Amino acid sequence: MKKNASFAMIMLLLLALFVGCGSTALKNKTNNDDGNPQEEDSIITVGFSQLGAESDWRNANTRSMQASFAADDNYALLYKNGQQKQTNQITAIRMFIQQGVDYIVLAPVTESGWDSVLGEARDAGIPVILVDRRVDVTDKNLYSCWVGSDFELEGKKMAAWIKSYTESIGMVPEDLHIVNIQGTIGSTAQIGRTRGLANAARENGWDLMEEITGDFTETKGREVMAALLKRFDNINIVYCENDNEAMGAIDAIEAAGLKAGPNIKNGDIMVVSFDGVNIEALEYAKQGKISCIAECNPMHGPRVKALIDTLVSGQTPDKFNYVDEKVFSSISRVKKIQVDGVTYDIDLLED
Amino acid sequence: MKNQNILKRLVSNQLFIPLIALILLAVINLVNDPGFFKITLGTNNAGNPVLSGYLITILDYGSELGILAIGMTLVTAASGGQDISVGATIAIAGSAMLRVLCGGNSRPETIQAPIIVAFLVACVVGMLCGAFNGILVAVFKIQPMIATLILFTAGRSIAAWINNNELPIVPDPKFSYFGGFIPGIPIPTTVFIVIGCIIIIALVLKFTNLGLYTQAVGINESSARLNGINPTAIKVLSFVILGLCVAVAALIKVSRLSTINYSVVAKDIEMDAILAVALGGNALSGGKFNMWASILGAYVIQFLTTTLYKFNVQSDALAAYKAVVVILLVVFSAPTVREYFRNMVKKLAPARKEAA
Amino acid sequence: MKKQNEKTSIFNRLSDTNLLLTITIVIFFLMYLGAIIFQGGGFTKPQMLFNILNSNAALIITSCGLSIVMITGGIDISVGGVVALVSMCCAVYLDYHDGSILGSILIALGIGLLYGLVQGFLVAVLDIQPFIVSLAGMFFARGMTTIVNTAPFNVEDPEFTALKDTRIIIPGMGSYTRKGIYVPAYVEIGVIVALIIVILLFMVLRFTKLGRSFYAVGGNKQSALMLGINVRRTKFLSHLICSVLAGIAGYVYFLHVGSGSASHAMGMEMNAIASSIIGGTMLTGGVGNIIGTLFGVMSLCTIQAIVSSAGLDDAWWTGITIAAMLCIFLLIQSVVMAQKKKK
Repeated sequence: MKKNASFAMIMLLLLALFVGCGSTALKNKTNNDDGNPQEEDSIITVGFSQLGAESDWRNANTRSMQASFAADDNYALLYKNGQQKQTNQITAIRMFIQQGVDYIVLAPVTESGWDSVLGEARDAGIPVILVDRRVDVTDKNLYSCWVGSDFELEGKKMAAWIKSYTESIGMVPEDLHIVNIQGTIGSTAQIGRTRGLANAARENGWDLMEEITGDFTETKGREVMAALLKRFDNINIVYCENDNEAMGAIDAIEAAGLKAGPNIKNGDIMVVSFDGVNIEALEYAKQGKISCIAECNPMHGPRVKALIDTLVSGQTPDKFNYVDEKVFSSISRVKKIQVDGVTYDIDLLED
Repeated sequence: MKNQNILKRLVSNQLFIPLIALILLAVINLVNDPGFFKITLGTNNAGNPVLSGYLITILDYGSELGILAIGMTLVTAASGGQDISVGATIAIAGSAMLRVLCGGNSRPETIQAPIIVAFLVACVVGMLCGAFNGILVAVFKIQPMIATLILFTAGRSIAAWINNNELPIVPDPKFSYFGGFIPGIPIPTTVFIVIGCIIIIALVLKFTNLGLYTQAVGINESSARLNGINPTAIKVLSFVILGLCVAVAALIKVSRLSTINYSVVAKDIEMDAILAVALGGNALSGGKFNMWASILGAYVIQFLTTTLYKFNVQSDALAAYKAVVVILLVVFSAPTVREYFRNMVKKLAPARKEAA
Repeated sequence: MKKQNEKTSIFNRLSDTNLLLTITIVIFFLMYLGAIIFQGGGFTKPQMLFNILNSNAALIITSCGLSIVMITGGIDISVGGVVALVSMCCAVYLDYHDGSILGSILIALGIGLLYGLVQGFLVAVLDIQPFIVSLAGMFFARGMTTIVNTAPFNVEDPEFTALKDTRIIIPGMGSYTRKGIYVPAYVEIGVIVALIIVILLFMVLRFTKLGRSFYAVGGNKQSALMLGINVRRTKFLSHLICSVLAGIAGYVYFLHVGSGSASHAMGMEMNAIASSIIGGTMLTGGVGNIIGTLFGVMSLCTIQAIVSSAGLDDAWWTGITIAAMLCIFLLIQSVVMAQKKKK
């Protein structure tokens, strides 16, 4: 009898597992009507492979995408988090191809290594739209278009701001001791922002002491900054390639008993950063802990949806689409900056 | 002759290996840079006096590990296995604490519940996780490492689910005292928390039979049963105590940042905690244990980490150096190796006599 | 009533290994069937299954190695680290040192062999707990990977990319997309390697003296000694095989992703252990089957694919579903063992 009982128990567990899977699958029915041929033609499925959820910028970007497609009944968005790994993203794209989505939106984690999987998407006749970072492929026709920020321009804007600010308080270029806490090495944002600073440092004769990665995370930013403060005692400008790193760096600066602020002549360490999405970072900017933030607009959703609408209607959209971006600061000394002959206003943050 | 005995007793003492390691590390640092041992009294940005220096860093950041080592030692002794889910359960307990403090709102203006209530909730959650592991191990006779693999896999997901995958920030500066400094007291609060935990566990070991029973269960379950000890209860209890330690560690971890990052909070801490137990010379197969050696082991690991940082080792590469040190320590404390050396000494000793 | 008796007698006749194996296989098929019924779409196409195989060939190989160590009663949590180390070393060798494909394969095997020799020696000869040895091994491999190269990068070597993109087309299994384009079904080279290894190991465990001694050592050391089996040698060999397989898996993984990165194969050791357990290997040793392990990996990865294709946020849901599945299998094992003891 006991044997029967155990057999029954195992069968029950099997059933439980089966039902468990079933319910997961059933839930899916409502948001993905892939298996249902009647509705297939009216609804356009978009597979979105996001690279991860590493920063507030990324989360805002994801939410923007989800919101824009949720608003329209003609679309269904399949969202996949790649958890910072190209392998996961490639797997996700292959899955989209098998599921027969109509469009693939890809926010790639790195630039290289996309040739074969994008080729597969093209062979299956699915157009690919890139978001945020770009890809380095031999055939540019492997993707239909790209939406994102001009990261080098962001870097240039920031460098221009640093230049006008330090000049306005009467500092000589040799006295600017800068460390750059870089983003994830190899990402488009890192490359552009690093280049923007490095070129400016060379042109202006700034002392760029160290470039080291903080992986776009607060934890790593804190760790790296703490190490830098132990190595150098004359840092006066910290150039963080995103807000999360900046908040980590400010933590480390304060933990070392120093002050993060714009009065570099009086021993403050000036922190500048990018993104401007995180509410707390903007709060820091209002307080002056972060002296300047170059915005990196994450609201790509509406733009991507418009591009897909264009594709649906059979037209060809522009290949490269830039989003508009601002510069935030709570310091009123600098009102305008000029980059490559174009003037940009500084958005003053006030309490 | 007497000298030899003292030496022998010293070498065979469990505290010998971690102590030697500690002294070795201290000497290396002394030679490299005597400034390592400098402790300075400064003020932090809020204007309160704080002690700073590498030694303080070790004491401060070794706290979580020291607390976890207490629970891990008991679990190891009672069940003959290790709990690899502590990192994940720290995430769960920390997440529960934040949920209570922030009331489900990711950016609240004020805290929604007293800190003590949040901490008690975290304790309950930690103990529940411990009980879950303990029941799988003790009742269902699943190997501890495998049983805890379940929470190891799911823990961080559950933690994210508790807060709807948001990262709430605790607005109250008082909350950050636990992982930082209380205004006016220059010693990190974590040090007091560890001392409190150590006193409690010392009292428990002294005035209850917990230590004895745990060892009895670990050495021989059936004979423990024959002596009227309930091995199932003892094993579950050891996991529940570890759960409590996890809750305390979670309090410190969350308090340090006033927020939590589910995928990286206390990452790999389980490995360090197990190492602490092993460094303390405790058999990972269970049985006899020495609590103090484990706690010392935890600080040795932190000492090592800080030393490596001092030598500008990158945080990612840290693991490789740690591994080498660990292997050396474990090899030299292995019974077979010790036996081999003893034989060598014996062989050499008569030879020396003849020569004389 | 008679039918009931028949059922129980079948149940009795199955040995532990076979019973656990049967459960795994049945669950795998039920799950896949469930996915086809409820999710349709992708799962009806054979390529979905091949994609799962393509992405997880390396996991299959490491799980096989782990199963052998687990059958002998040990554990090895260094495999994920070894996979990452191998892919980083090969990537650096190919791109920065202009290496050849053959050279990179030798590097992979060399790292695996070295790991096997050291860990095997520490575990079998010095009698140090395998958990601690392989824990240090994992730390070492992960740390070494970042010391070799910090930044992740893709390999550009043309010979290698050609090998990476080599596809074995499976005739008749392709499918039509919604736009009516025919897409052929394919597997990567790694899958073939993995299947060969599965078959080889299955033969070794089933038909050779070495295979039987693995079971004997894991089942009961004392009686294994009495049977004249060299316990040390057997344990040593199990670790050696596991690490060499991890080296091969590293190369297969490298061939699939085509890049070196310190974060490669994070947590692969835990997935491999979970797969082995789902496949019916018992951590106490003496029970296990390579075919079961294969199905264990497939079940695990199918769950991931289901969660993923359902559009749930996979980062969180896979963790929870895998843990739930693991929990159920562990309970089944526990019940089975308890029943056996009562007999």
